[in-house]
Amino acid sequence: MTRFLLRRLGSAVVLILILSAVIFLLQSVSTADPVKAYLGANASPAAVAAARQSLGLDDPLPVRYVDFLTNLVQGDLGVSYRTHRPVVTDLQAFLPATMELVLWSFVIAVLLGGLFAVSGALRWRGSSIFRGPLLVLATAPPFLLALGGIVLFYAQLHILPANGRGPGETGPTGFLLIDTLVAGDPAGFASAAQHLLLPAVVLAIAPAIAIGRIMRSSLTNTLGADYVRTAESKGLTPFRVLGRHVVRNSLGPGLSMAGLQLGFMFAGVVVVEQIFSWPGIGNYLAASIPTSDFPAIAAVTLVLGTIYIVANALVDVLQAVADPRLSA
Amino acid sequence: MSATGIVSPRLRMPGPVRARRRTGRGLSWALVALVALLTLLAIFARLLAPYDPVQPIGALSLPPGSPDHLLGTDSIGRDLLSRTLYGIQVSWFAALVVVVSGLVIGGIIGTLAGVAGGFIDNLLMRFTDLFLALPGTLVAIAIVAALGYNLQNTLIGIGVVWWPYYARIIRGEVKALASRPHVEAARLAGAGPARIVFRHVLPGVIPTAIVTASLDIGNVVLLLAGLSFLGLGQPAPAPELGADTARNLGQLLTEPWIPLIPGLAVLLLSLVANLGGDGVRTLIGGRR
Repeated sequence: MTRFLLRRLGSAVVLILILSAVIFLLQSVSTADPVKAYLGANASPAAVAAARQSLGLDDPLPVRYVDFLTNLVQGDLGVSYRTHRPVVTDLQAFLPATMELVLWSFVIAVLLGGLFAVSGALRWRGSSIFRGPLLVLATAPPFLLALGGIVLFYAQLHILPANGRGPGETGPTGFLLIDTLVAGDPAGFASAAQHLLLPAVVLAIAPAIAIGRIMRSSLTNTLGADYVRTAESKGLTPFRVLGRHVVRNSLGPGLSMAGLQLGFMFAGVVVVEQIFSWPGIGNYLAASIPTSDFPAIAAVTLVLGTIYIVANALVDVLQAVADPRLSA
Repeated sequence: MSATGIVSPRLRMPGPVRARRRTGRGLSWALVALVALLTLLAIFARLLAPYDPVQPIGALSLPPGSPDHLLGTDSIGRDLLSRTLYGIQVSWFAALVVVVSGLVIGGIIGTLAGVAGGFIDNLLMRFTDLFLALPGTLVAIAIVAALGYNLQNTLIGIGVVWWPYYARIIRGEVKALASRPHVEAARLAGAGPARIVFRHVLPGVIPTAIVTASLDIGNVVLLLAGLSFLGLGQPAPAPELGADTARNLGQLLTEPWIPLIPGLAVLLLSLVANLGGDGVRTLIGGRR
């Protein structure tokens, strides 16, 4: 088990290094010229040459990569062309909002996916009324869901807000729901929850279906297993059969899909944050694209990519804990 | 990099899950016909479009159902039906290009790995796993941002991250087929490696490859639309579905059809692609 853990974490580190190398290579072929961005477009050739020298742009690629990594480890991701602040400062300001959105959205995805799976596998009467539309929604582009949600719940029904996180103050955790609760601000909490609901559900729908499908098939398989028939015939209540025998034994595939989807959601969050003006790093990335702010784009890719890789590694480890055969 | 657990999130679509509920053959043909119809629509979009998609030609912000403009006009008076048809053409063919390129690149790498075995197999699959473990969408965004924003670079960006999944599936198929008796027999009869691959192995791989690819088109449509929405596609006046929604976000609450119609067109494409993929799977079967 320890060996598996070390190997899996080691491979995650290697992957993060490779991701950083990819970003570095892209930065060096990028059409956005860092010197022009640094000095302005009218700089004299001599000044450009001097800046290239001092920025180390004339060094060979491997040397520059080592520089890049050194800066990275020291928390220096360059300066944004757009905000003229260090990218790291920007990311620190925006990351908590993204984490909060994705984590709640993930919870919703798992609950919705579980409901989808259980209602499908047990053939709850009338539940296809809820599954059919969900399947169609899952094939829609997320931006359409977001806009449809805004038109319906904000413009027509006036029950949900359409942008931002709400007026509550963020505190130590940066998670508005937790901070307002800790600060004893029920109004802020309610508003934060309201603001969170629509973007979180929009982001959750496609992952919910992905998780739900896998779980449903694994539930269906388990329901046909001999030990389930045995459990039923020895007189256990249906609830007990489900809780003790069926759900436990069919959780594995759903878990692994859930982990993958969590990583996936960190990419999907970009569009959703932009539409809801959610002050997270996805919105930051979306705003950086039109201005060709490559340092910002590279940094967000690196941060979200690292989260993705770490999430996948954690899922593998969790699965190995749940099923030791996997770590053999 | 252990091979265990590093699986593409896209496995969700063509997974074995939906094989449970088989659609009838007649219905399947109808679904495939729907895809063919959509492809025809995309091919002849330029002929079907009643107006120039870039020139303002009508009153501003006409709602859908207006006599001369079936889907209405946008805020500067361009015909939305025409823009949507052109956008469908771009999106549909772009998605096909990505899927076909993934199939070709992944097919070559997967076949090489599956046939060669041993060291080469190991090397190629490690390389593939590495790509699978990186966050594809984000890497694609970074590639386009580095190369410059246009449709061609978007296709390159997605193409770079889209093949590994195909390489894995095709390698698995090749490996399974290579150990079958008919291949053994061909080898004993003295057939060379090229003949074995092209005559005896690849024909058996094609059904799975086609099913996998057809179930993947919807995913690519959505990904492309998302990148286009973020501004990583054609520059401004060109009609593109994701970008047309993004550019008209400001009208959402006053003239909602202007941003919503291009988005609904994306939904249509992805829905037809997914239904068609299900149909193809029922008809061809494959191994899934």
